[in-house]
Amino acid sequence: MDDQIKSPLLRLDKRSKDSLGPVSVWGIRLGSIVFALLLGCIAILLTGNSPIKAYGTMINGALGSAVYRQQTVKKAIPLLGCALAIAPCFKMRFWNIGAEGQITAGALAATFVARLLSSSFPGDKPSLPLLLLMALAALLLGGLWGLIPGFFKAKWNTNETLFTLMMNYIIIGVVAWLQAGPWEARQGRIAQFAPAAQLPKVAGVHCGWIIVLALVILVHVYMKHTKHGYEIAVIGDSMRTAQYAGMNVGRIMMRTMFLSGAISGLVGFIICAGANHTLAKEIAGGVGFTSITVAWLSQLNAFAMIAISLLLGVLSKGADTLQTVMNVPVAISDIITGLLLFCMLGSEFFINYRIILRKKNGKGGAAQ
Amino acid sequence: MKKLLALVLVLALVAALFVGCSNDTPSESAKPAESGKPAEGGEAKTIKVGLICIGDENDQGYTYNFIRGKDVATKALEEKGVKVEWVVKWNVPEGDACEDANRELAEAGCKIIFNNSYGFEDYMLKVAPDYPEIQFVGCTNQASWGDSLKNTHNAFANIYEGRYLAGVVAVMKLEELIEKGELEKDKAVIGYVGAFPFAEVKSGYTAYFLGARSVCPSVTMKVQFVNNWSDATAESNAASALCDAGCKMISQHADNSTPATVAQSKGAFFTSYNNDMISVAPEACLIGTRIDWSVYFCEAIEAVVNGQEIPQDWSKGLADGAVVLTELNEKIAAAGTKEMLEQVEAGLKDGSIQVFDTNRFTIKGEKLTQAFALDTDGDFQADKEEAVFDGAFHESYFQSAPYFALDIDGIELLN
Repeated sequence: MDDQIKSPLLRLDKRSKDSLGPVSVWGIRLGSIVFALLLGCIAILLTGNSPIKAYGTMINGALGSAVYRQQTVKKAIPLLGCALAIAPCFKMRFWNIGAEGQITAGALAATFVARLLSSSFPGDKPSLPLLLLMALAALLLGGLWGLIPGFFKAKWNTNETLFTLMMNYIIIGVVAWLQAGPWEARQGRIAQFAPAAQLPKVAGVHCGWIIVLALVILVHVYMKHTKHGYEIAVIGDSMRTAQYAGMNVGRIMMRTMFLSGAISGLVGFIICAGANHTLAKEIAGGVGFTSITVAWLSQLNAFAMIAISLLLGVLSKGADTLQTVMNVPVAISDIITGLLLFCMLGSEFFINYRIILRKKNGKGGAAQ
Repeated sequence: MKKLLALVLVLALVAALFVGCSNDTPSESAKPAESGKPAEGGEAKTIKVGLICIGDENDQGYTYNFIRGKDVATKALEEKGVKVEWVVKWNVPEGDACEDANRELAEAGCKIIFNNSYGFEDYMLKVAPDYPEIQFVGCTNQASWGDSLKNTHNAFANIYEGRYLAGVVAVMKLEELIEKGELEKDKAVIGYVGAFPFAEVKSGYTAYFLGARSVCPSVTMKVQFVNNWSDATAESNAASALCDAGCKMISQHADNSTPATVAQSKGAFFTSYNNDMISVAPEACLIGTRIDWSVYFCEAIEAVVNGQEIPQDWSKGLADGAVVLTELNEKIAAAGTKEMLEQVEAGLKDGSIQVFDTNRFTIKGEKLTQAFALDTDGDFQADKEEAVFDGAFHESYFQSAPYFALDIDGIELLN
């Protein structure tokens, strides 16, 4: 290649596995965060504020007091839960981007049960049997909403990306109809749940955080230490190998999608019984999509997801405070968050590839 | 070469940022000192006030109207020696985020927090018990009289008075068209685009219709609901359908200006709500009415600053400037409208004209003698407090939010 006259300025070269030590890998990741923060400075400077003060405000607003920390954790709960839900699918290389709809389906089922049975559970304390029934309904409908695209993929090899995406719109439409129609209380809204159907608070935050932390362990064990988890990993690495080994790929796909949808559905239950205490068509609020980022950033590692979802919680809460304290438009906060996510995901590229600059004087150089 | 140039530019930009950061630091340290400075003479009082908005000022309607009120109130209070530091949250959805917004403003040190949308109240009520020393206001909502909390309040304005006046302006235009022979006498029909079939909307169009009928007894009205507060397309379609059904005059109770433009394109006339829409439909829009929130903001904030209690329910009208008419489009309004308006306005202010005078409307041919105001059991049927007395239905009297939800003769509901 040395004798080529016209070689490009930059060339990409895939790194061999493990050619970078862990120090370099984490160096690249940290570097990407620093780079994103620097880019974010442009956005902040445009509003006429000091970037240093802005970042300080964000951190203080997310972690500065007990109430702020509780809100940050509350934002992280559904992200963590949903990242855990989609991890098995992504491990299998089944691109489930329907978590948004599966969350909504779960919330819808939980709301149905809450409305149906609330009168049987009077009193102003949360009722464990009612909450369990709501959770069960959420698991089932969320799971069903995941199973449908899984079934079509297994039987007719449909495109799961499109299929799961379209399923989102259907269920959100159903909720919109219920909200303005049969379940409407006033002005296009569904009434708040009875106290019996509201998740109790533990340490100032609804107890959904305990549920998702338990899920972290369950999902970790399922993925790493069970036959099911092994099958998923094999399919993800090579579908042909799985078939050759005699695995029923279609069945595993459907099973995994049901599981994934069920966990998303449970997250829907947590959001509606814990945070909103009602159902609305915006109930998933983009969690189903943001959690894809959480799952990828964590490299599908269940424990890393805790840290990443908390990081996103801090960002999102910090961005809220930034708006209130410094009168920065919400959009600026969103830009900063977007930049951070983009750079953090983008850094994986530099971990997998190296950039080779055009040689100037015969010596090749690699830049990171 | 281009790529190299781009690289150099990016690096230069990053370097510039570092410079920018360090340059900004000193000016920032000066800022808090400025705002935290105690006022001269010890007279001026500073208060932090929270405002949670469903939209932002770009909607040019609902939230914009609140922002106008906020700005006017800030100036008025400054003249009284009260410095207001607003903390505003924009584009807050009606859900869990609203609870967080209330909590955040409470933590930020706001002494009074206004929630500007109906759907916020459920979430506001989850925060209010935790901060008994902070006042929470649910604008346009109605739980305060029934919840057991002392620090929650509701506020609205007697917008039905403004609509009554708008109805007068509208029907005078129709009468002018009849006189000119452009409209047959028995075809004087008003079309109304309503958001939802709830009291707030029903009270509004009924007041509008009664205003119109006080001038022209033969006028009738058709109402089309869009079942949404803000759906520009649906509102436009509804206005269009009403024009096609023969309505020469369109009014609305929803958030967009599309009915105004439709009315203009179909050769009909229009009266607006929340904002002056003459600029969007100069050949159709006659007048509009809106709530001036600054009146309430001033009263409530001043009371809190002085340690006084604010009322559980607050609703004032034309007489106190809480309801105002936007500018009359004299180019197209009927002759004599201005004089007529002054006369009716004076009557409303001194109480000689009652909007819901029970002698001037019927329900299924009969005079209204009994109607409740408050809904105590949450089934959306009023069951407490007699609203009909002294020859009129008393709207916004027992609670600030409207509760007139009756269907009177002469108004046809299309859906």
